[in-house]
Amino acid sequence: MAIDAGAPRELTETPFFPQERYQCGPAALLTVLTQSGVRTDMETLVQQVYLPARRGSLQAELTAATRRAGRIPWRLAPGGEALVAELDAGRPVLVLQNLGVGWWPRWHYAVVVGVGGDRVILRSGTERRRVIRSRTFLATWRRAGFWGFVALRPDEMPAVPDRDRWFRTLSELEEAGQYALAAEAWERALAVWPGSAVALFGLANSQYGLGDWAAAEASYRRLLAARPGLAAALNNRALALMRLGRLDEAESEAERALAAAAGEPDFEHAVRETLAQIRAAREGSQSRSGRPSSTSR
Amino acid sequence: MSRRTKAANGRLAVFNLVSVSLISLGFMQGAAAGPIGTQALLESEIGAARTARLDVLLEREDIARQLAAFGVDPTEIRQRVAAMSDAEIAALERRIDARLVGGDALGVIGAVFLVLLILELVGVTDVFSKI
Repeated sequence: MAIDAGAPRELTETPFFPQERYQCGPAALLTVLTQSGVRTDMETLVQQVYLPARRGSLQAELTAATRRAGRIPWRLAPGGEALVAELDAGRPVLVLQNLGVGWWPRWHYAVVVGVGGDRVILRSGTERRRVIRSRTFLATWRRAGFWGFVALRPDEMPAVPDRDRWFRTLSELEEAGQYALAAEAWERALAVWPGSAVALFGLANSQYGLGDWAAAEASYRRLLAARPGLAAALNNRALALMRLGRLDEAESEAERALAAAAGEPDFEHAVRETLAQIRAAREGSQSRSGRPSSTSR
Repeated sequence: MSRRTKAANGRLAVFNLVSVSLISLGFMQGAAAGPIGTQALLESEIGAARTARLDVLLEREDIARQLAAFGVDPTEIRQRVAAMSDAEIAALERRIDARLVGGDALGVIGAVFLVLLILELVGVTDVFSKI
């Protein structure tokens, strides 16, 4: 495998932050975040990704800290093609390298800022512009499983599109509690794939996560207009209705969800919990007011 | 002992471990009552296998304790764990000791040095770079 770059290209304006001992992780992360327009500093990122007792940083923490900075960590497909495409889009690529060998590993994070001829240009360690042979770079990168990512703003998309993997990346924002970032990115995804049920569901879930029950309810309803029997959307709309205090509607929506979830054990389990929760809320509101009520709490 | 009892005991042991831990950070609280996640719908739509949410929450507790053991500032641990996705948590749970990175000094001696030097000269490694 080689890096087929055509004409040389280099993101010369990419900043450089020389690392302290063992802190290649925070230094590389600071490089890509700063280039993406995030204002942060080494001290903050050391707090977020460094493991003192292990003298290093975990890959998962670099991507997690990228989310905390309001950027979407997009893992590159293995090999040179995606790497070059991201550079062409103006984004430096944070890579993990094994500078040693399998039986004598030496893990290192660096940032690829350029390729050209048979050379790769890195911001690496204490070297602002480290130039190595692309064959050597690829060998060190391959030994680290071709692990690398770029930091995307929510209005950006990967240079090499892969819809389902992009959707999975966005749903990870939700799992990590980054709802505002997720909402913005799902809006963008809906503009690209207007009929996508997953993208609309993702938007609705991020609105729910933000506590905007009315917007979430409306988005679930919009999704259900296109996909009437979608159990997950029925379930989540029932929860949004419950949050809005519309308990009668919430219960009947949850009952519809239960019917729709038949044969999907995981969804069915979630719907049963939803239904129990709504019924408990109804009992609570009835015992408080002394009469059946669907008014807000 | 039946397999089920064993599994239940195993789970109980994990649960006890979590509950006595000083760094039980409450990832388990409120686990039951959330909306169905986007990942679950995505996997259902594309026909992929699903991962159980409850296990991931247990794993988050576990990762939190490991970060504490690795010297992370206690005030930061919760946010660091919360910022990870389920897939990242699951990957770490499997191999938290691997993939750790730093500019460790090379204590290279004798034959190992010679082999590495040759690999370096033919462009296989970049082990003697200063980082």
